[in-house]
Amino acid sequence: MKNRKYFAMLALLGALMLVAAACGDDNGGETGGGGGTSATGGAVDCAADEFGCVEVAAGDPIQLASLLSITGDTAFLGTDSNHGIELAIDYLDGTFDATPGQLLGHDVELTQEDDGCSAEGGQAGATAIAANPDVVAVIGTSCSSAALGVADTILGDKGMILISPSNTNPGLTSEEAHQPFYLRTAHNDKIQGAIVADFVFNKLKVDTAATINDESPYADGLAAAFRDNFEALGGTITDTEQVSSSDTDLGPVFTNIAATDPGVVYGPNFNPVCALSYTQGSDILAKGTVQIGSDGCLESSFLDTVGAPIKDFDYFASSPDVTAFQGGDFYKNEYLPAYTDQFGEPTSVFNAHAFDASNILFDAIEATAVDDGSGNLTISRTALKDALFATSGYEGVTGTITCTPLGDCATDVTIGVFEYDHWPVEGGTDPTDPVFSETKTLADVI
Amino acid sequence: MGGVPTRSIVRTGLLGGVGAIYVALVGLYTKFADLELVGQQITLGRVLIVAPAFVAAFAVTRPRVVAGERQTVELRGGLGVGALSGLVGAGVFAAALWFADWFGVDRIREVFVAITEPLVDFLTFDKGVPAGLPILIALCVVGGVVGGFVRTAPVEIRRPASAGVLAVILFGLLQRIIPIVFVQLGFEADWLYDRGAGLTWFGALIVFAVAAAANSLWNRDGGRTRERVRRNVGQAPAAKVGLFVAILAIMTILPLLLGTAISEVLGSVMIYVLLGLGLNIVVGYAGLLDLGYVAFFAFGAYTTGLLTGAFLNTTTGAATPALSADLNFYVAVWIVALLAAGVGLLIGAPVLRLRGDYLAIVTLGLGEIVSVITASKWAQPLIGGPQGMRGVTKAEVFGLNFQDNPQHFYYLALAFVLLAAFVSWRLSTSRIGRAWNAMREDEQVADAMGISTTKFKLLAFALGGAIGSLGGALFAVSIGSLTPASFEITVSITALAVVILGGLGSIPGVLVGALVLIGLPGLLREFEEYRALIYGGALVAIMILRPQGLIPNVRRSRELEDEEVSQDAWAAKAAAESEAVAAVLPGGGLGVEREDLE
Amino acid sequence: MATATDEQVRGAELGLLERLPWRRIILVVLSIAILSVVAIGAFKTLTLPADERYSTTTWKDFIVLGLAQGAIIALIALGYTLVYGILRMINFAHGEVFMFGAFGAFFFSDAWEQSGFLNSNPILSMALLLVIAMLVSMGVAILLERIAYRPLRNAPRLVPLITAIGASLFLQNTARGFFGAQSRGFGVPEVLDGTWTILGVEVDRIQVVVLVTVIVAVTALSLFVSKTTTGKSMRAVAADSEIASLMGIRVDRVIVTTFAIGGLLAGIAAVLFSITFESVSFTMGFRPGIAAFTAAVLGGIGSISGAALGGVLLGLLQSVGPALILTGYGIPSSFQLKDAFTFLVLVLVLIFRPGGLLGSSEAEKV
Repeated sequence: MKNRKYFAMLALLGALMLVAAACGDDNGGETGGGGGTSATGGAVDCAADEFGCVEVAAGDPIQLASLLSITGDTAFLGTDSNHGIELAIDYLDGTFDATPGQLLGHDVELTQEDDGCSAEGGQAGATAIAANPDVVAVIGTSCSSAALGVADTILGDKGMILISPSNTNPGLTSEEAHQPFYLRTAHNDKIQGAIVADFVFNKLKVDTAATINDESPYADGLAAAFRDNFEALGGTITDTEQVSSSDTDLGPVFTNIAATDPGVVYGPNFNPVCALSYTQGSDILAKGTVQIGSDGCLESSFLDTVGAPIKDFDYFASSPDVTAFQGGDFYKNEYLPAYTDQFGEPTSVFNAHAFDASNILFDAIEATAVDDGSGNLTISRTALKDALFATSGYEGVTGTITCTPLGDCATDVTIGVFEYDHWPVEGGTDPTDPVFSETKTLADVI
Repeated sequence: MGGVPTRSIVRTGLLGGVGAIYVALVGLYTKFADLELVGQQITLGRVLIVAPAFVAAFAVTRPRVVAGERQTVELRGGLGVGALSGLVGAGVFAAALWFADWFGVDRIREVFVAITEPLVDFLTFDKGVPAGLPILIALCVVGGVVGGFVRTAPVEIRRPASAGVLAVILFGLLQRIIPIVFVQLGFEADWLYDRGAGLTWFGALIVFAVAAAANSLWNRDGGRTRERVRRNVGQAPAAKVGLFVAILAIMTILPLLLGTAISEVLGSVMIYVLLGLGLNIVVGYAGLLDLGYVAFFAFGAYTTGLLTGAFLNTTTGAATPALSADLNFYVAVWIVALLAAGVGLLIGAPVLRLRGDYLAIVTLGLGEIVSVITASKWAQPLIGGPQGMRGVTKAEVFGLNFQDNPQHFYYLALAFVLLAAFVSWRLSTSRIGRAWNAMREDEQVADAMGISTTKFKLLAFALGGAIGSLGGALFAVSIGSLTPASFEITVSITALAVVILGGLGSIPGVLVGALVLIGLPGLLREFEEYRALIYGGALVAIMILRPQGLIPNVRRSRELEDEEVSQDAWAAKAAAESEAVAAVLPGGGLGVEREDLE
Repeated sequence: MATATDEQVRGAELGLLERLPWRRIILVVLSIAILSVVAIGAFKTLTLPADERYSTTTWKDFIVLGLAQGAIIALIALGYTLVYGILRMINFAHGEVFMFGAFGAFFFSDAWEQSGFLNSNPILSMALLLVIAMLVSMGVAILLERIAYRPLRNAPRLVPLITAIGASLFLQNTARGFFGAQSRGFGVPEVLDGTWTILGVEVDRIQVVVLVTVIVAVTALSLFVSKTTTGKSMRAVAADSEIASLMGIRVDRVIVTTFAIGGLLAGIAAVLFSITFESVSFTMGFRPGIAAFTAAVLGGIGSISGAALGGVLLGLLQSVGPALILTGYGIPSSFQLKDAFTFLVLVLVLIFRPGGLLGSSEAEKV
């Protein structure tokens, strides 16, 4: 009898809960509703905007957030990108003087969140940011796994722009998966894969290759892009291997690869797998086999682990070509010195992408924010999005930026292939120019 | 001094000093030097400076059993002892700091990356090495004195004082969360918190006062209120139900009060409560050590994806999985649970004969097998490999969207948790539960008594698997996107820690365990880098100090703590004696306070 | 008559489930299935078309790699098996003992590499590195025992297991805090670069060093345990600690010694591991730790020869296994599955021999 009572109570509570939830209001939503009244000339109709407007009162800062990898193994990416954003805020006053500038007469306040380089991290960070209706836009994520289907959706549902300085996974801007409020200034990895394939086939004149990737979506996607493009050029993929990012013993895998006799082994992974691939692979592969890594490898810990280049075995790594950054002089003579002055040596090249992302965002805010005359701004979220996606021909540090409807803003992407150890990071020996550099657009690749 | 042997004082003091050095080496000072707790002066870093001295003094002034008698330390002696141990520890710490400065911070940094000039500046209060050391030493001595005070002061003072300080520290740490809560509820928080920083002095004072007052009220009249509540809850079923309903009501209202960000954390907590309940059946009830629980979690998540029409991520966009169905979530979830139960039987069958540690290793291995397969190219046509799947259903019903709205998701998770808790509870008091008890306590005897250990072990695995897969299903719905990085051994270890911390075999314990192990880190995201370190340390500490967990299952704690039970019996007896004497001799007695025996 | 009474006593619990010899049926079916899978896989691999087949050199490479890696794992596994024999607990934190030894050696190796000492006196520097690693690992092991395990001597099995997991997490992240999150390159003396040709087979010099060192260490350990007094005390305590203490053996001392020896072996393994894979990192103990106790269980935990056998077998499984069996089935990227493959083998071994390969075939030791 008692059991029935308890059960009935539970069922009742459960039903009540569902009713409560359905009727309960959606706390923490956006500020929505009638901001239109204070706008000059009624230019902003916030009631009609599905996602409402952001109101920035006079004297209040414009709030931005960043959702980047600032802890863990990929912290070198996130902290570096944050520095890029900070430099953009600095440059609002026209000079790199370590004092932040102002946008439309308002300070810009940046809240930094961690994307955890994982889906849960992206979800937690994005939800935390989305709970604050005063955030105008978000710059992030570092890792594709934090964005794909997670941060891009959570923020997109609130109409918050998410613009990434380092997501390169092709899926993020594909027809099926693209979210309406997501863009990126980083390149689409289909381009990087295609350019490396070009390097191997046409420059190194090698027509057999093997790939080895770890379990991250980044590595898998890039390896797949390489394979597709290499085979289209007429090359043969002799072996496809996968390892775990925590593996230390790569002997058996490389023995297997060596048995298929490839001319090139492409390993677009992170460290330490990249470094271990080079040192251990060189003991096993045939003399003269070239190994190639990607921008995940091109950092100072590789140099620390490997030391001097290994005789008879060349190693290359592909990465956005900083020397071809259109900001040419600006990048070399103003931006880079400002970075090193304020933050020390850059730990990755993607800070420039973060700088560009922040700048096109600032431009879009300037274009769409409506000042009511006394310093109060109203920014319609949809209008801001439209302005961003309409960015065309913007001369950024990383190249010309024209955003496609699917969110790829880096249209002309220049990827350079750098020979070890002439790498443009701390510890690399000069000259640090790429041995191969090519520009492609999305239309050129598979 | 003060009844404590000097050797003990010195030794504990030294340990305190070493502890402080450890905190420095591991980088906690460097990381939290600027985290303001109260005003601008009291930062977490500074609290961490005094913490080792405090802990050492607290430990060294504990009551000792000398020649069969329990001796507490007097207040004055306690202060002195605390000061001395603090001094010893501070001396060691200061000497290490001076050595680091003399030897060259840069050279030490080649080995220990946390030893930097800013660290030395922080520890010497920006005064440099010889000049700042006396301040450091003085601070540590104060910490020791406070530690001694907290242990030896009269009960009416130290209990509220400790509660107050702990509350202040907690509020200080939650500086990013509590203002949001206040704003949600419609209150201003400016008087309590500096904008974007820690508590204001005024706010800290209020928090301290409120916490201390609450604590003294609770412990008033020698704890009569507490005793009364305990007795009622322990005995009257009506009171038990009332407590249950109250907790349930709080759990229901919470997300509405706290906003989306905290609801999202609570949602994760609920998923781990579900996992914990399932694991609780396997480990807590049936005594089967399962270290591979992530297998069921992953199975539930991916199967839900496959059954509800999710698709694979590829470089060119999307692909349909090799096996796919597009069912409604509420239909699919029961299929998933059924299949997972089957998997549980499959996993359980070969391991029936294995004893404890072997079982642990094998289940660990099976968990690893599943982890590896989720990332493998081999299974990529089915579950997406490294790039994973996305597009898991949002499970919408009655206009509730569980993927996009964390508050709604919380209720979905809560519903499943209640279901699982109900099932667990009924099982624990049923014949099956009794069979599990018997099996757990002595398998051979149970077998001899005619209990089919095979059947009950398999049942435990099947049920545990089903509930674990429900956790996975909910996870898939909440995130919508599945990548192998979410299905590693960490899940198994965390689930196990939740169950252990809460108390094996205890259902409310699972809730508390999940709140502490998932909720706190979710709210205190500043500590993300040190989460694993704190987890590990906490696990070790709990196992040594309180292995029965936070909310022990009475039966299990008896199994785990034979010695403590007998000690409690002794203490209870002594307390009864002292009460009897006190009744006759007012104001006197054996000098053994009731509270000292707690 | 007697049978009928027994049946009545056991009551309704005895159903069809108990009457059939299920266990034997399943075991037979299972063994046939496994053998056929393995045989077919191996057959297919070995009969691949000539241009896809592995050459003998490649097979040799797989085998030698497996043996070398397995030897290192065996050293670590010995630490697990010794502690288990005495305390009946799996010291999950042993991987971190190994890791700290590697870091201890690393800092000296790094300094000596820069000063040139490593290359000018390779034998001396290697010996010193071994000693340093052994000392550091021993220290960590002893500390671990004293702080985390001694208070729990009499606790039920679950408690020290959880403590060990917690200690493992704690130590790993302590190393992270101390030494940083990046992995560091471990220098190898030039004299160890390259290969030697032994009996017509070309093997890496480092692999030879590893194999020789491990064989020496295992032999030394076996002799120690069987011949010396301390060794005999260890065996006595492992057999029955109460009786041993009654016989005058100081059990606490023996336990500490066991941990110390385990640490010592882990230290040796640490140096060997670091020069083979040329890197150290704070996570380097985790996977080898799991591999090592898998190996110990595989061979029969509590037994020294079991740990050695298990270690070598595990190394071979991880290296030759995917190559021999999975390649034949055309499974893509089969080496990513090596851990899954290894654990599967473990599960299967334990089904047939619940005590491990060299352990007793009885499920319970009464």
